[in-house]
Amino acid sequence: MRYNLTLAWHGLKRYPRSTVLAVITVAMGVAATMTTLALLHQLTADPLPGRSGHLYLAWVDTVRAKPQQSQSLNDITVQNYHRIKWDDAQALLHDHRAIWQAPMASVFTEIRGEGDQAKKHRNYVLATTSEFMPMFGVALRSGRGWTAAEDQTHAPVAVIDSEMAQTLYGTADAVGRELRLGHGVFRVIGVSAPFSLQPHFYDLAAFSFGDQRRDQVFAPVSALLDAGVDLAGSDACDEDGPKKTTLFETDAAHCSSLSYWVSLPDSKAASDFHDYLQHYVQNQQALAGYGKTSRAELTGVGAWLSRQNVVPDNVRLNAWLAGSFLLLCMANVAGLLAARFLRRGAEIGIRRALGAPRAAIFQQHVFEAVLICLLGGVLALPLTLFGPWTLRLQDSGFTDLAHLDPAMFAALFALALAVGVITGWLPAWRASRVEPGLQVKSA
Amino acid sequence: MSLAVMLKVLRRHALMPALVLLQVALACAILCNVLFLVWQRVQPMVAPSGLAEDELVLVDQITSRVRPWTGADVRAGQLALSRTPGVRYASAALGLPMIGTMMVDYTLQSPRGVKVGVNGYFGEGLVKSLGLQLVAGRDFLPSEYQEFGVNQPSSGVPDTGSTESIIITESLAKQLFGDQPAVGQILQVPDEPDGHGYQVVGVVRHLMRNQLALATDGRADNTMLTARRVGDTAMVGYAVRIDPAMREVALRGIRAAINEAFGPLLSEDIPVKITTYAERRHDALRGARAALWLFAGVTMAVIVVTAIGIMGLTGFWVQRRTRQIGIQRALGARRSQVLRYFMVENLLIAGAGVLVGMALAYVANGVLMRHYELPRLPWSYLPIGGALVLLLGQLAAWSPARRAAAVPPVVATRSL
Repeated sequence: MRYNLTLAWHGLKRYPRSTVLAVITVAMGVAATMTTLALLHQLTADPLPGRSGHLYLAWVDTVRAKPQQSQSLNDITVQNYHRIKWDDAQALLHDHRAIWQAPMASVFTEIRGEGDQAKKHRNYVLATTSEFMPMFGVALRSGRGWTAAEDQTHAPVAVIDSEMAQTLYGTADAVGRELRLGHGVFRVIGVSAPFSLQPHFYDLAAFSFGDQRRDQVFAPVSALLDAGVDLAGSDACDEDGPKKTTLFETDAAHCSSLSYWVSLPDSKAASDFHDYLQHYVQNQQALAGYGKTSRAELTGVGAWLSRQNVVPDNVRLNAWLAGSFLLLCMANVAGLLAARFLRRGAEIGIRRALGAPRAAIFQQHVFEAVLICLLGGVLALPLTLFGPWTLRLQDSGFTDLAHLDPAMFAALFALALAVGVITGWLPAWRASRVEPGLQVKSA
Repeated sequence: MSLAVMLKVLRRHALMPALVLLQVALACAILCNVLFLVWQRVQPMVAPSGLAEDELVLVDQITSRVRPWTGADVRAGQLALSRTPGVRYASAALGLPMIGTMMVDYTLQSPRGVKVGVNGYFGEGLVKSLGLQLVAGRDFLPSEYQEFGVNQPSSGVPDTGSTESIIITESLAKQLFGDQPAVGQILQVPDEPDGHGYQVVGVVRHLMRNQLALATDGRADNTMLTARRVGDTAMVGYAVRIDPAMREVALRGIRAAINEAFGPLLSEDIPVKITTYAERRHDALRGARAALWLFAGVTMAVIVVTAIGIMGLTGFWVQRRTRQIGIQRALGARRSQVLRYFMVENLLIAGAGVLVGMALAYVANGVLMRHYELPRLPWSYLPIGGALVLLLGQLAAWSPARRAAAVPPVVATRSL
């Protein structure tokens, strides 16, 4: 085997031009495939490993409005993020049927520190309730989260992340400081580690990917509503509610504007919870007369992400394109290899005549193919680093995520190896069929 | 030499031709699909807009942070803009070309039952402000405009029974009415249950829709203007037609006029955008352009890889048969015959590859279509992609075939 490897290595050096050509071709194919797969891998990775399997988005359709019938020929569909009204959220919270549950809405709003001269910042505030932090595993650096009792009493408290603490107060030690949101004054009771999930799956209404997309302040919905902070955005509003006055104004009582996530231990609990939701909708007297079928849904994280089409189609399309390009490169390299193997038919004949079994010839040539493809893999590395730059031109913010991690690095070489074995197989088999006698004669 | 002999030779040494065939098939499948994707992206870029592009300034995202704009606010803005030095016409509008933030979606139905999805632009005097070219009928009369409010839609809708006037494009007229004259025809909107009908009063040559993703396959001009004046709304835009000689002055004036008319109430989160049409178009097509570069790169790579592959394999093929070529030459075959033999052989292999590739392209498109939002690959792309790959094969085979033709007859007398 060692000998076969050595022979393979010598084989490489014998035809440097075709070796270089094959290496470059493999490198291009592998780099294109890895670039697109790396991006796809990042975008489809589990956003919250260990927890996401237990998380479900609960939705009840209680909006008092006639169902919208849109038959657009223009492919316009009304986005529905399965949000619910604040009143329903409160009722579900009160029943407390899941292990953990919390309504939430990510709001872009003004955040100010202490004093009248404090600088204004605008960023995302997550309006939610006490169980959000344990449910999603937000890590506290100091202080505490708030309690259900504080939700009840509309206590103006907030947890901010260490970066926001640094921006507002110049120190991460911000517990006890004052924070102004809307027209309310909140007290910082905890400082958390930066909490950035990719994608921002628990509220997809704004941008779903990107390092900038992060909730930096967490505060009770009740207190935020008291302070006049608008939830800014909803799926639908009651027809009998007040008319909205600005583009993004949202009336939490009449508009479905909160995503309600629950944590359930197993599928039995999930199906029970779904029944409970169904019951809840069926008992909504006020819905009578709007001609709606009662709808309640419970969606897991994975199903939710694929349903919302979070990964853009063109990312997948590019992966397909790159994959077929790799196939083409493989066919090409197989051709190059076959040509060079058969060119040394005489040599193979001699080796065979001297007693080398077919298997040895086969092995030698597969090794040669693998060596070429591994070299291609090495060359693909810098190309793969350059690849995301090209994709970024096409971008909608998420391509910053396309970077190589060690797993992808390993995958790249596994791919190169596989490509080598597959492309080498046929030419090497053909080489191993060379008859010993004939070749010796003509040489 | 007869085709039968050629096929026999190919069958005897099947590996090389099979590998060429495989490459050609894959290249053909990829190129057909990429060509199709390219054309999907290119169409919105080359579609005529119908606008006075050089003279157009688009203002949009005028949003309030406290209350919706009233019809009076909107009109005041329009008046202020039209009095700005360098400005010829200004119209408040809901929906503007190349701007995707607000789109008006209609499904029109003709008396013949043809249904077409269109984008609408609302606003007073848009024919003049956008610089559209009327080819039939007339512009809206000032008395025809109804105020359309987002929160009080009833203020704008005329009594049932009377129709609302619209202006459509030539292409839309053709789709809806065929060769009949469009002016005077009545259209229905099937998803408006209490629909009152829309009467075509004018036809413009071109007007590009603002749903750019749908501006393909002859749908770029699926656009209509309605005789609606912008009433109360949370967000408004303006189409401003300027004197191109005074562009700088006009742009400055427009900004000042907007600030004066709306200033204190403007939302802080959403800045007002004031841009020339060219800038807006550039922005709107950015994604499509980037995709085109990517596809161009893929096409180049596919062509280079395939060409090198075919050249290498044919070269080897020729080299292996040097002796036979020599014998043929010695027996009286002319150079041109040897050249032709290798070119025809390549054509044969590549032709088979192209057939396989076209089938593969169609199947691949079918699979992709089922999973992603992608239209069906039209049949017409297959022969185009196939012809391209055949040509590529011939070009790649040219140099090895020349080498084969150059083999001297004397080779036959040498042993290898």
